[in-house]
Amino acid sequence: MRADRTSAPDAARLTVLFLRIGALNELQYRANFFIQLMQSLLALATGLVVLALVFDRTDELGGWSRPQLLAVLGVFTLMGGIIRSVIQPNMQRLLEEIRLGTLDYLLLKPEDGQVLASIREVRIWQAVDILVGGVVVAAAVVQLEGRVGWLEAASFLGLLALGATTIYCFWLMLAAAGFWLVRMDEVQELFTGIYRAGAYPVGIYPGWLRAVLTFLVPLAFAVTVPAEAVTGRLEQGNAALALGMTAALVLVSRRVFRMGLRRYSGASA
Amino acid sequence: MAAVDAVIAVEDLRKVFSVPVRDAGLKAAARSLVRRRTREVAAVDGISFTIDPGEVVGFLGPNGAGKTTTLKMLSGLLHPTSGQVHVLGHRPQRRERALLRQLTLVMGNRNQLQWDLPALDSFELNRAIYRIPPREFTQMRDELIDLLDLGPLVHKPVRNLSLGERMKVEIAAALLHRPVVLFLDEPTIGLDVTMQRRVRSFVAEYNRRHGASVLLTSHYMADVRALCRRVIVIHHGRVLFDGDLAALGARFSTDKTIVVRLPDLDAAMIARLGAYATVLGTEADSVTLRVPRADAPGVTARLLSELAVADLTVEDPPIDDVIEDVFAVEPP
Repeated sequence: MRADRTSAPDAARLTVLFLRIGALNELQYRANFFIQLMQSLLALATGLVVLALVFDRTDELGGWSRPQLLAVLGVFTLMGGIIRSVIQPNMQRLLEEIRLGTLDYLLLKPEDGQVLASIREVRIWQAVDILVGGVVVAAAVVQLEGRVGWLEAASFLGLLALGATTIYCFWLMLAAAGFWLVRMDEVQELFTGIYRAGAYPVGIYPGWLRAVLTFLVPLAFAVTVPAEAVTGRLEQGNAALALGMTAALVLVSRRVFRMGLRRYSGASA
Repeated sequence: MAAVDAVIAVEDLRKVFSVPVRDAGLKAAARSLVRRRTREVAAVDGISFTIDPGEVVGFLGPNGAGKTTTLKMLSGLLHPTSGQVHVLGHRPQRRERALLRQLTLVMGNRNQLQWDLPALDSFELNRAIYRIPPREFTQMRDELIDLLDLGPLVHKPVRNLSLGERMKVEIAAALLHRPVVLFLDEPTIGLDVTMQRRVRSFVAEYNRRHGASVLLTSHYMADVRALCRRVIVIHHGRVLFDGDLAALGARFSTDKTIVVRLPDLDAAMIARLGAYATVLGTEADSVTLRVPRADAPGVTARLLSELAVADLTVEDPPIDDVIEDVFAVEPP
């Protein structure tokens, strides 16, 4: 059996394992929980104030009503929580270890390198954003007054998972680029900056920027499309596109990662 | 194809790194933005050897000789540029689970344990990753704790351990899955003498108990002398010597050491001996001389005929000196 073919149950087993270690590690720093909670609430408050300012002057923004935009803000916060608690810490560590040549111990393990590289770090306090975002989405749904059924809820969760996967794959490719290029840190910073644009539906941006945020940096699929689902605005075409895009990114990013491993040169001996 | 039952078979193995080169200075830096020049450096340049089950082999060479690169290719971390590597019948760069479960690589000064947690938590993680059955795990863990004298150390966060303590815990973590092939890269580096001895006797004991094959690099000749009958010496990515440690001196040393015991030794006689050969040192009634290998028989004959010699031995110089001589040799 090849080590680089870890089955899905195996991956789940390993994820739980590392989640536990991550939790053990983080529980040593309890103060971080309160700091994180403050940060989340502050960021949320800023977002709400901006929304209030916008709707002081208009009743809708690019065809999105106030509660619908609130849902976008909720999904944005929630996805940000997923990114900062799992995706970003793992990908930053991966990139750093590629650069320093300290990926050795990971590659020695009899498991899939990509799976291991993707689950080693968990920032559980950052997951506060997932809760806060979830509450905001729920509040938006309440304000939408019953236009969200089970189907919408299910497709919302499905598209959320697809969205997180596209962001993960995108970031994996950024990190794997480190096998070829030396300095990728700035590019990661750039992504964090671009992600802020996701606080609003990509539809409100001009065409060229919308294209960038959809295909170059897959923000549209990470935030806007799930938000469409939970607000009853989803078009079937977009869901299919999200599915296709995710599948393609999964395959391509895996390929890129494995090509990169062949180039891995380790720390200078 | 090498011997069928060899644990490790390496044939004409090469690893070439491409290293960016540029001159110092801003101008050169700007130029390299446009056109990056690289130079090919062969870290490992066509080496071949085999290692049998249960063998403990010392892998020697100066810094940059290609030892670590070779070990990393043997454990599947690096893809060879060309040549063949087989470990337990597998090609390591394929990272097959069946192989990875049977080997380990320990690197001195590197850390794979969870920094903020007690080592026991990291052991647990390795148990799960390697899927070690609970009973085997407990047995092996306790054996390692006992052999390495880890006792209370495994309950402390790793960051609170001293360098030597951490190394012992690292070694334990790397052996929990009972590997049969051990690659030890400078396992005693930076440790004090007592701790070095401890690690050394542990490796010998592990090899005896589990019949594991060990390929070991070390800057401390004491490690090599204590553990390895056979050594492979590489320099500039090529094998310079592969054979018995004892034969290394005969092959490489240009000198012989003669120890003469003289009952009526005094300062005048020491001065006279200086005419025969270089005096390395004197003790109460014996003198250690160094002579070029070719002159050894002649000097010995003269000493015996001209002086009242109580005892005389001709030896190869200490292995540490020999190794120094070896590394002074330039590649062909």
